[in-house]
Amino acid sequence: MATNVVTIDREKYRKAAGPFALRAFLSGFRVTVGHFVGNLVGWIRGKPTVATVMFPEEHLAKPPAFRGMPVLVEMDNGKERCVACGLCEWACPVNCIHIEPGETTDEVERYPQVFDIEMSRCMYCGLCEEACPEEAIVMSDRIEISAFTRAGTLWTKEDLLTPANQLSRRLEHIRRDYDRR
Amino acid sequence: MSEENSAPEDAKVRLTIDGLEIEAEPGQMLLQAALDNGVEIPHYCYHPKLSIDGSCRMCQVKVEGGRKLAISCNEPVRDGMVVDTKCDEVKQARQGVMELLLVNHPLDCPICDQAGECFLQDYSHGYGRDHARTTAPRRKGVKRSPIGEHVVFDQERCILCRRCVRFTQEITETDELRVFGIGDHSHIGTLPDAPLNNDYSVNVADICPVGALLSSDFHHKRRVWFLEDTPSVCPSCSKGCNVNLGVFKNEIQRMVPRRNDEVNDTWMCDHGRLRYAFTSNETRIKQARVRDESGELVDTPFRLAIETAAEQLRGTVDAPESFGVIASAHLTNEESFLLADLCNAQISAAHVVLPVIRGEADGFLIQEEKAANANGARRMGIEERGGGVQDLAAAIEAGTVRTLLVFGGDALEVSGGEELLASLPKLESLILVAPNETDFRDHASVLIPGATFAEKDGSFTNGEDRVQWITRGLNLPEGVETEGATLTRIGAMLKNSKPEAFDAIAVLNKIAAAVPEFAHINQADLGAEGLVCGIPAPSEPAPETTDATVSGEA
Repeated sequence: MATNVVTIDREKYRKAAGPFALRAFLSGFRVTVGHFVGNLVGWIRGKPTVATVMFPEEHLAKPPAFRGMPVLVEMDNGKERCVACGLCEWACPVNCIHIEPGETTDEVERYPQVFDIEMSRCMYCGLCEEACPEEAIVMSDRIEISAFTRAGTLWTKEDLLTPANQLSRRLEHIRRDYDRR
Repeated sequence: MSEENSAPEDAKVRLTIDGLEIEAEPGQMLLQAALDNGVEIPHYCYHPKLSIDGSCRMCQVKVEGGRKLAISCNEPVRDGMVVDTKCDEVKQARQGVMELLLVNHPLDCPICDQAGECFLQDYSHGYGRDHARTTAPRRKGVKRSPIGEHVVFDQERCILCRRCVRFTQEITETDELRVFGIGDHSHIGTLPDAPLNNDYSVNVADICPVGALLSSDFHHKRRVWFLEDTPSVCPSCSKGCNVNLGVFKNEIQRMVPRRNDEVNDTWMCDHGRLRYAFTSNETRIKQARVRDESGELVDTPFRLAIETAAEQLRGTVDAPESFGVIASAHLTNEESFLLADLCNAQISAAHVVLPVIRGEADGFLIQEEKAANANGARRMGIEERGGGVQDLAAAIEAGTVRTLLVFGGDALEVSGGEELLASLPKLESLILVAPNETDFRDHASVLIPGATFAEKDGSFTNGEDRVQWITRGLNLPEGVETEGATLTRIGAMLKNSKPEAFDAIAVLNKIAAAVPEFAHINQADLGAEGLVCGIPAPSEPAPETTDATVSGEA
């Protein structure tokens, strides 16, 4: 038989809490009403004071150190910077990256024919970015992975390619971060 | 002096490396003696199977009493020698060598196939500087030029160790690769009308310590650190070259030779090396099928197909003269043993054929018999009975042989194959066990998928009677079993007994008990080198012969 059983007389506590419960309710309600009025005034003035971000229409600006979904850097010529060296595939602790290398006639003779990331498996650790010798895979500020099917969470190379200028803050950040070591 | 110091009964030379006392064979080079005893000395140009070049200067060590550092690859061991491989002088020399090698070496490790098994990478990490002191632009060279049919050459990456040049001079004696130019302008190349096209050309990619010579088959295919090496034996001829299968995601990505001084040293031929696609391409049979009343092959569960096959074979137990067997020289010893038991003891088949595709031998590695285990199959008791393939075709045509059990498709490619194919419609039942599609399929009453050499454990006996173990590197499709398991099941069904699980090691032990030549052979002793089978001569038992030759190799 259990020894440390404490019996609580709930009725006694409820009676005792009566007047305090009312006070707690009123103080909470004051905060609600205060926000409502404040937001109403802000909305009428055109300067919303609301703390809530209207996701998904709006996004928070994330700091450059934020690690969202890994994406591939697209160069100005529309090609990926990735050379399919396989180091991110090797570094990935959850094995969510799959690369099929191929050969091109470009100066850098190697490119990824297939570059898939299973986003539902990715854990945003950033080891792929750290392993990459070409600054070709970086952690973006994108966070929406939801899809209607499981197949939708498999991101192919076309989904992952992101122009370098959209990633410049993160690229600068990792250069600064890795150089410091 | 060394003669006086060494005791007459002790032929070994004693020396000290880094305070460690080791023994070496007289005449052995210091580098090899150190490597044999687990002392690492970095080296590029030295290769145990090639002549000594001494061009890379990476293996320099300090020998006590010497005026300057000695290159250990060309320094014969002496009694009482005291060697230091870790002193500051040696470290500085290595660092200098590394720095000079890397002055012009491109920084393209991310796209280099050698990355991961590159001596330059390893030694740069272990013995080099962590940064370059030069700011001058690196020398440009020809990149990815097809120097031969199967080899790609990247001039920028070459460190001029000349292993490849010595290989074409000494091993193939074809002399395609030479060093052109002098000094800073020297580079490896071929003469304009003589590309690197010999039967052993891809070996230069193996011995290249950097990524200058690469196999075009493996070029940009897969990073080496993803490959799982599985020790096996090449199935393409009766030489039985030892190989490692580089497996990734249940597919062979490449085959590289594995050193066995008794068989192939460190080499293998291009034909065998590049012939692995059949293990995973579209010709593989992955589904058991049985022909129904309408004459169509219908997908059937594997076990059910085996039961059907056993049922059809049961009809021949009382009429063995109507039963023919086409064995395969691709089966392992263990599978051949089970097959021999089936077609000799259980049903003594009127016709037993062991078709072996023959080609040209070259006197080095390539052998005439283009299958790995023809010798093993014969030694397991599969003897040709009732003539060859042509006689079997005639017997089928005449209606004497009505049931045929076939392993693999080789029989259609040897002489008499066309007649055999033409006679097949006369058969009542044809049970085909094959890993790959063959023309037998069109006439098969039961089609049972088989396994290739990469999918089974077992042993092969090469043309020189050496028994070597092969290891499973690939997984078979769901529900499919190896020929060994198929034969075990069929044998048990014919005996109306419960089938045991097929275990290659257990069958090899049975072989050792049943076949006198294999009496001394068991799986644990085969090791990496294999054992020679045969009845040992009283004075010199076979196992000891192999051991002595292995350790005596310099």
